[in-house]
Amino acid sequence: MKELLDFFHKIGKLKKMPRRGWVIRDIKNPETIAEHTFRVAIMAWFLAKKKEKLNIERIIKIALIHDLCEVYAGDITPYDSILPKNKKKREELMKIWPRFSNSQKKKLAKRKYNKEKESLEKLTAKLPSDLKKEIKNLWLDYEKGLTSEGRFFRQTDRVENFLQAMEYWQKYKNPPQGPWWIWARELFDEPIVLELIKEMDKKFHKKKKPRV
Amino acid sequence: MSELKKFYLTKEGLDNFKREYETLKELRIDKARGKVPEIWESEDLNPEYLSFREDVNLLDSKLFELENILKNSKLIKKPLHDKQNIVDFGATILIEVDGQKDEFTLVSSVESNPTLGKISDESPVGRALLGRRVGDEVVISSPIKTIYKIKKIKYN
Repeated sequence: MKELLDFFHKIGKLKKMPRRGWVIRDIKNPETIAEHTFRVAIMAWFLAKKKEKLNIERIIKIALIHDLCEVYAGDITPYDSILPKNKKKREELMKIWPRFSNSQKKKLAKRKYNKEKESLEKLTAKLPSDLKKEIKNLWLDYEKGLTSEGRFFRQTDRVENFLQAMEYWQKYKNPPQGPWWIWARELFDEPIVLELIKEMDKKFHKKKKPRV
Repeated sequence: MSELKKFYLTKEGLDNFKREYETLKELRIDKARGKVPEIWESEDLNPEYLSFREDVNLLDSKLFELENILKNSKLIKKPLHDKQNIVDFGATILIEVDGQKDEFTLVSSVESNPTLGKISDESPVGRALLGRRVGDEVVISSPIKTIYKIKKIKYN
């Protein structure tokens, strides 16, 4: 039981860790990693019900564990390798979606994967072996899209992030919407997620159209 | 996943799916016989395969999915020389968006990985690029207008 308590204590940190994507965009009181996990688990459950043949229990478990690695690895964003310290320059950078060559994309993804894998192994090291294996396997499914559930959740995870961006934009007029829409139209291909995005467009842009 | 859907796969993608299927099928046979070969205890083995060692239901559903993909797959062939300036499955497209350069490889949904530049043909951008030519400007304007200029198309 001591190992379980230590683990619960460590993952409790995620309730206080702000999501870095919002911190670098100077969002006031940004959501924490645990807050993101809470909503994405519910979104994944409800959206998965609209599809046939998906194992919802597996999807919810993937949702619950997908960001545990951030206890030690922190929250890594696509902007990290090019982020200027100067606030003005940073604000300018946030108006665009960062572009990399395919070889840079591979390198960045590998670095992120290795760091997060190491962190997850450290976090789960003292858990009973069955739980340790289960968490690792679910996380690999999310990272690599090994099953339909893993691939479905990956898109749900990103669309929760997108929804949060829209909510901040509605409240603070920040972050700029342009890069989010560009990113969304390249990234999403799951029909249910695309349908949700259409609804988001209607809901958030009733009065004001976003600008790049 | 629809049983009738065709999966257009790159040679690399098809080889990966075949390799994965053969490895996992072997594991399934060994599991049915009540033994798991030593290689499956090795941490050197592709960690992605290890996920299926523990859970037979997961292994069976993955095998079913792979069988469906392989049964309905169509290998993407390099187009004839005069068609190589048109975006089709397997094309790597050099584009310019808002003054920035990027490159995408257009693949089917099962092979897509946008983080690595593999864009799905079922994504709005993938759909819009399919069939377009070098020099074309592809406009996507819902809700923000973005212009994708096709600078170059390559086939491997």
